Amino acid sequence: MFSKSLLRCSLNRAAFHSSSKRSLTIPFLSTLPQKPGGVTGTPNDAYVPPPPDKLHGSVHWDFERVLAVAMVPLVTLPLATGGSFMTVADSLLASVLLGHVYVGFQSCIIDYIPKRVYGKNFNYAMYLLTLGSLISAIGIYKLETEENGLVGVVTNLWTSKKEEEKQK
Amino acid sequence: MIVTLGLNRSSRAFFGPSVISRSCRLLISKRLNSNVAKTTFKQENQLLVAQRKHRPVSPHLTIYQPQITWYLSSLHRISGVVLGMGFFAVTMAFGVSTIFGLGLNTDNLKAFYKEKVPSWADLTMKAGAAYLFVFHFGNGIRHLVWDMGKELSIKGVNRTGIAVLIVAAIGGTSLLFK
Repeated sequence: MFSKSLLRCSLNRAAFHSSSKRSLTIPFLSTLPQKPGGVTGTPNDAYVPPPPDKLHGSVHWDFERVLAVAMVPLVTLPLATGGSFMTVADSLLASVLLGHVYVGFQSCIIDYIPKRVYGKNFNYAMYLLTLGSLISAIGIYKLETEENGLVGVVTNLWTSKKEEEKQK
Repeated sequence: MIVTLGLNRSSRAFFGPSVISRSCRLLISKRLNSNVAKTTFKQENQLLVAQRKHRPVSPHLTIYQPQITWYLSSLHRISGVVLGMGFFAVTMAFGVSTIFGLGLNTDNLKAFYKEKVPSWADLTMKAGAAYLFVFHFGNGIRHLVWDMGKELSIKGVNRTGIAVLIVAAIGGTSLLFK
């Protein structure tokens, strides 16, 4: 009984071994060489935790929640009023939304372009996100000062085809 | 560590069906292993690294049973990324236009959308945006409820998940035909 299960176990493991080389990475993005089995050092090395950093820990978490909570009324209002929205509220919505999307995309980069695997490319992805967000912020400024806001753009695009049908 | 290696190597040969009793077999394997014991720390480490190269990779998402918990979690992220990309596309277009003086405004954009975007694409984008938006909105509130420490049981997670799906189906449909 014991020996059979052990034998089966070792055979199963042999079958799994063939999969050890398979790993999913983003094409055309250079990766760092990985340690065998993803482990460094001997079996008796103590774990060295990264230094605690509130800005990447509790403060970041609170920031995410504040943005998410603020999104709820800011999104509900224009939906309830059917598109007409004060400029102040629209600017607030657009800014908080930009922060919310920025933080969300940051989490995605941390998960899918991790520094452990991609090294510098992780930093480049973060810089690219920040640059894009700055351009987006300029766009929001333009929308709020000279156009009729983010909600204005969305409602215009949303109903454009309907108007076309009415015209026919 | 070396003992483990020795056991693995000898297991196939010695633990096959035989008439030797279990205790006897263990005794043989112990004696065999004790013969391999003397290695330097460096050699041990090399062996360890060599063994690590052959360790199995943990299986991916496909082996897990589809459940409302992790399906909605994935959908929350996917919907967030899709909607975020749409937001970035519009606001960055206005940003780039402002920087380079390309003269994009809401009326331009609307006219372009009216003329160039076929109605099937319009319907697809609107349906995607409507359902994903209402889902992300509802599931975001679900996440905030969890952050308050409520509905954190399996029952609560399933219940709120189904509620969010119903809200997304109804709200998304009403938003689509607004």
